[in-house]
Amino acid sequence: MAKNSVAIIGRSRLAEELFQLSRDKGFAATLHPDADGIAASASLVVETRAAADEKKKEILKRLDADLPHSSVLLTSCAGSPTTRIASWTARPERVVGFASFYPLQEKRVVELSAGLRTQEASLKEAENLFRTLGKEPVRVKDGSGLIFPRILSLIINEAARSLDEGVAQAEEIDVAMRLGTNYPVGPLRWADQIGLDEVLAVLEGLQQETGEERYRPAPLLKKMVLAGWLGESAGRGFYSYTESKVTK
Amino acid sequence: MADKLRIGVLGAGTMGSGIAQVCAQAGFETLLYDVSQEFIDSGLSRIRSFLQRSRARGKMTAEEEKQILERLVSTLRLEDFRECTLVIEAAPEQLDLKRDVFKKLDALCGPAALLATNTSSFSVTAIAGATRQPERVVGMHFFNPPPLMALVEIIRGERTSPATMEKAISLARRIGKTPVPAKDTPGFIVNRIARSFYNEALRILGDGQAEVPTIDRIMKEAGGFPMGPFELMDLIGIDINFAATQSIYQSSFYDSRFRPSPIQQRMVLAGNLGRKTGRGFYTYGEK
Repeated sequence: MAKNSVAIIGRSRLAEELFQLSRDKGFAATLHPDADGIAASASLVVETRAAADEKKKEILKRLDADLPHSSVLLTSCAGSPTTRIASWTARPERVVGFASFYPLQEKRVVELSAGLRTQEASLKEAENLFRTLGKEPVRVKDGSGLIFPRILSLIINEAARSLDEGVAQAEEIDVAMRLGTNYPVGPLRWADQIGLDEVLAVLEGLQQETGEERYRPAPLLKKMVLAGWLGESAGRGFYSYTESKVTK
Repeated sequence: MADKLRIGVLGAGTMGSGIAQVCAQAGFETLLYDVSQEFIDSGLSRIRSFLQRSRARGKMTAEEEKQILERLVSTLRLEDFRECTLVIEAAPEQLDLKRDVFKKLDALCGPAALLATNTSSFSVTAIAGATRQPERVVGMHFFNPPPLMALVEIIRGERTSPATMEKAISLARRIGKTPVPAKDTPGFIVNRIARSFYNEALRILGDGQAEVPTIDRIMKEAGGFPMGPFELMDLIGIDINFAATQSIYQSSFYDSRFRPSPIQQRMVLAGNLGRKTGRGFYTYGEK
């Protein structure tokens, strides 16, 4: 019985999408903004906060303390290696990382990673969850943002820098990248869909992990997140979204 | 007005011949120049076989094909560009060579003519600096293969005039392309932003985080990109891709964001250049 229950934690579009998807696939799914009110019986928890900040640490500590020892903790490793997140808990064996960006719809694959102390059984359980959700799990070595979120965040960061430097306007950058490289979406529009805070979390995670200049977030990206211009969900990002009409 | 427009294309390599084809296909009298008949012949045969394939696929009639080829004239004499309204330079990527060509074109062409460079690695400003009228020099950066890729980046050098930008934008539209104006900065828009797609994938590979096929698969099936970074590098040519990265790295005064990958360099040194040599990140049939 408990096998079919999953608690999703987070406020992002990704969290909502995972919640809907779990319900559609017959799970007894619940959605929570944070660690409050999670049933003590939940065998599987998916924690989706991208930023590896104090808030996330607090959530992980609470979950670790409240949940039965057998339940698996699936956590977003968008902004930090899984090993670091697992180190916040008393039972790192049950912590599994995943990294992906909204939307998951139409995506066949989801990336998972084990921290250094993650148990094989926990990974298997996380993989089963994604298979049931219709996604194929692919294991990669632990690191901030894993592969797709990492590469796309760097592309978006460079696009944001180009915009800030006045190389071209947002729409022009997006048109150029779609026509010049066949990207499915222009990088700035893509960032608006994902949420700029999620992209920033990946960059900050990589910067912290490696100490490299290469990952320094574009000042414009940081400012926009501070201003609350997170993209589509906030009504404004690199574009404005009012009355479902896209304007610049 | 439309029939008066004469376009000169300088260089009959892959890019030059493709650009000439685009212009002739759009209905303009096009003059294709190169320094030897051999280069011209191979450029023309590339165009002919492209058009034949289009006709075989039912995308153009024999009559259209004939007309396109009639509008396309080749020459070994740079002086023949004298009457051109627009010259697009697609010479090899060597700055001295390009500056020399622009100096000659500047002296040769009437003051109303637009001089455009298809450079991807050099600054338009550096090329325009060789002329007396840098105001009429502009970048028109096409993508490979030009007949199939809709984008042309229109690059504003430091001294390019607004009127020149406007004309270049309108000319790009008239030859059926989508122009996007951009400032003269290393890699312009596309080559700069796309660096991350290749370089970060190479970094991830170097870190041992995942293997080549896994990274490609994730970028396609978790990311929605039409091709993975390694498949795409193999298609483009690893040497070409490496040169583009090196050029942006150098012209940005060695900004670490653009640092080339030693993995890629080793592949170039080993002659594993991708599909064209049968071996790159993947192996391809026999060659």
